[in-house]
Amino acid sequence: MDTNSLPCRTETAFPRLGFLEKSSDTRHIPEGTKMEMPLWLAKGLYERKRRVLSVELPKVYREGWRTVFSADPTVVDLHKMGPYYYGLGSQLLHFHNPENPEIAQAVLQTFIGRFRRTMDAAQNAYNEDTSALVEPLDSLERALFKVGQNGLNAFQRWETGRASHLTASSLVLNYRKRKITDL
Amino acid sequence: MDPSEVEFLSEKEIVTIIPNFSLDKIYLIGGDLGPFNPGLPVEVPVWLALNLKQRQKCRIVPPDWMDVVKLEEIRDQERKEETFAPIPSPYYMELTKLLLNHASDNIPKADEIRTLVKDIWDTRVAKLRLSADSFISLQEAHAKLDNLTLMEINTTRMFLLDSLNYMYKLRTNMHPGSDAARSQDY
Repeated sequence: MDTNSLPCRTETAFPRLGFLEKSSDTRHIPEGTKMEMPLWLAKGLYERKRRVLSVELPKVYREGWRTVFSADPTVVDLHKMGPYYYGLGSQLLHFHNPENPEIAQAVLQTFIGRFRRTMDAAQNAYNEDTSALVEPLDSLERALFKVGQNGLNAFQRWETGRASHLTASSLVLNYRKRKITDL
Repeated sequence: MDPSEVEFLSEKEIVTIIPNFSLDKIYLIGGDLGPFNPGLPVEVPVWLALNLKQRQKCRIVPPDWMDVVKLEEIRDQERKEETFAPIPSPYYMELTKLLLNHASDNIPKADEIRTLVKDIWDTRVAKLRLSADSFISLQEAHAKLDNLTLMEINTTRMFLLDSLNYMYKLRTNMHPGSDAARSQDY
């Protein structure tokens, strides 16, 4: 999650750190440069009072996309928008943006809107290829989907009676030790 | 919790059998099991009934509710109402599976009973999902559901708890409080 690059704008100069800025060859990074920074670096450098850098919101969290989410959250392919929509959204709230309350609200409402779809997909897809269902889900939703699938699989396994059926572990089968019958 | 564990808990329920052997009263830690006389019905826990049946020492009498007419009534009631109807046994799913697998010769119309119980299960689980969805979308703080069985709760437990946890974390974002109090994840 922290390796996502955020577009930032430096508010003060960074002397002798020109090598961080890949697009230009200057020795220093002058004030007002737009560059990409990983989240962890931006979070560490950000300070409200000293104005070291200001962070721009990625497209997904801006006004335009927020109205899309409030209209119908289920159609959006959240995995393409950055697989950590919820996580990054929560972290962005650190940066004291004036739009913070709306961002927090939008992230929460998106989750609530998509919950039904995730629940139905997880609880009904038994023994079939789920890659088409999982594709538009964000990583948080994928974790939830996996938990739901586990619950469903355990129940189905019990119902068909395979829960008490002893099977050789897949590790042992793959290791292909010699069996008594081979000797 | 594993479904096998729920099945284990259900084996404590009492069922009537008709033994074909005789034995004096036995005193177990859980309670006494009455004297066994061939041809006379006696009440025992399900685990003992299944064991005796597998050794061909008894005949199992199906419980009162395991009857096509009664189950049809329950199924229709379940479909009509929006809340969960009271069901005759808190372990209906497990008992159906166990008794129909081991003693289907003693139970009349076993296949129909299996289908009816599956219908009742599907209706109840659908109601459970609907209620979970409205719980989350209305962001309620607490909900009360009567007449749910352990097996139904068990299938959705992990999923519901995890989603409620994530939702809680997203909600606390709206009221940050102090930055130091917020944890590193989400």
